[in-house]
Amino acid sequence: MEAPIKGTVTSLSSLFPVEEAQKASKRVEESRTERQKQLDQLREFAADNNTLINLVQRLPDQLHHDIMVPFGKAAFFPGRLVHTNEFLVLLGEGHYAERTAKQTVEILNRRGKALEVQVEAVKALMQDLKAEASFFDATASESADGLVEIREDYVEETSTKEASMKGMYHLLLIYVLHINGTVKPELTISSEAENVPSVKDEEYDRILSRLAELEKEEEEAENANQEELGEAGSDISLDDVILEEEMKSSELKERGESRFQSTEKFPDNWHVEGSKSTSKENCLPENLAYGKFNLTESAPREPQVKEDAPREPQAKEDVKAPVIAEAKADALPTKPRFDSSKAFTGSIIEHTSDVNSREQSVSRSSKPVSRFKMQRK
Amino acid sequence: MASPTVVRELQRDLENKANDLSKLQKDISKNHQIRKKYTIQLGENELVLKELDLLNEDANVFKLIGPVLVKQDMAEAKANVKKRIEYISTELKRLDSTLQDLEEKQNNKKETILKLQQKIQSLQAGKGKA
Repeated sequence: MEAPIKGTVTSLSSLFPVEEAQKASKRVEESRTERQKQLDQLREFAADNNTLINLVQRLPDQLHHDIMVPFGKAAFFPGRLVHTNEFLVLLGEGHYAERTAKQTVEILNRRGKALEVQVEAVKALMQDLKAEASFFDATASESADGLVEIREDYVEETSTKEASMKGMYHLLLIYVLHINGTVKPELTISSEAENVPSVKDEEYDRILSRLAELEKEEEEAENANQEELGEAGSDISLDDVILEEEMKSSELKERGESRFQSTEKFPDNWHVEGSKSTSKENCLPENLAYGKFNLTESAPREPQVKEDAPREPQAKEDVKAPVIAEAKADALPTKPRFDSSKAFTGSIIEHTSDVNSREQSVSRSSKPVSRFKMQRK
Repeated sequence: MASPTVVRELQRDLENKANDLSKLQKDISKNHQIRKKYTIQLGENELVLKELDLLNEDANVFKLIGPVLVKQDMAEAKANVKKRIEYISTELKRLDSTLQDLEEKQNNKKETILKLQQKIQSLQAGKGKA
């Protein structure tokens, strides 16, 4: 637009050095093979369990079985299996119980179910890791390609109204200023979500319904009830603090995945049109306005993240993470936290983070420890 | 000029801090291993308790002590397992708290190291200009 030196241009490779990204992807790959081993072992257990169940079911069919009894390591002698309906079952931790064949089968079935649950858990983990690996690979290749990230701080004078809503899922508004000068804000909802998908779905529904409510109110009456919204807003910010806590503790890859889901989940019609946003500004809750102030004044993120200082680097990671997504081309639909294809239609991207914090994050980006922190269990 | 000695001192300091950090990281990974072990044991014990609950009161339960199977009372076995679960849970909690402590320390160390590095860098840059 008019002012030439408004934003900053950072090459992606300076944020994420190629070697670092490759190292990270290698690490993810390693942990993936580890999990694969675990999965194989679990499957083996399950198969063993099944054969055992078959055997136990068959044994009491006859009064006795002629068998070869193992004797030492390599020797066998012929013997006979009697009491074919009596089993001494190891329950675990050195506890044994005398059971009949039928009861034993019941125990074994229960065990098989437990194994299945474990297999499912490991499978889910594998998928997470897979997403993470592809993410790192993409980052590495993009970094190698010399992608460039363009950022500009939002200036209040422009006709655009900026609304930053930090809801349960850290809603972010991205404004795309088009080249022709017309300003058309788009609302993109990003989630730095975490943990269980079920909870996420619930909360998404809540956010969606809240958004719908807000829009309805705007359309029906321009002068929405200020106080009511203010209350709702304070709820949001409270939750938000908690959320930030959770976000930091949550693993990067989980975020990566949910990020993907979030962009899918939100249809385009949730994007607030430019005409509406003006009225929306009027009924913005105070603390949201405060959040905006925060952004526009290039204030550091600290006020929002009041938690302990050591976590700060990671909070910055959070800030930084969306950047890659934005810089990404639409050819990579799996990655973006934001609706990247949309966010990139304009020449300049408004962002919540300011220059200062970004510079810090750049300097920190050479430290891979926290960013690529692997899940440990 | 005092700056070379200052830089040297800072570097020594940095080295010490880095050693401390690696020690802390080792501790953390050890903690993780122990925790993993305990979690597995906890799961196993819970399974045992579930199975014991499903058994009849008159069922024969044995406990493997060394090379021999010792017959045990049902109630006794259950109490034993419960006690074990309790112990493991408290142990896990303890490990959690120590882990948190360690991680906090680690973060602090990282920050001080970063600061030191920046200091050294700025000093060196200043020297290069002068």
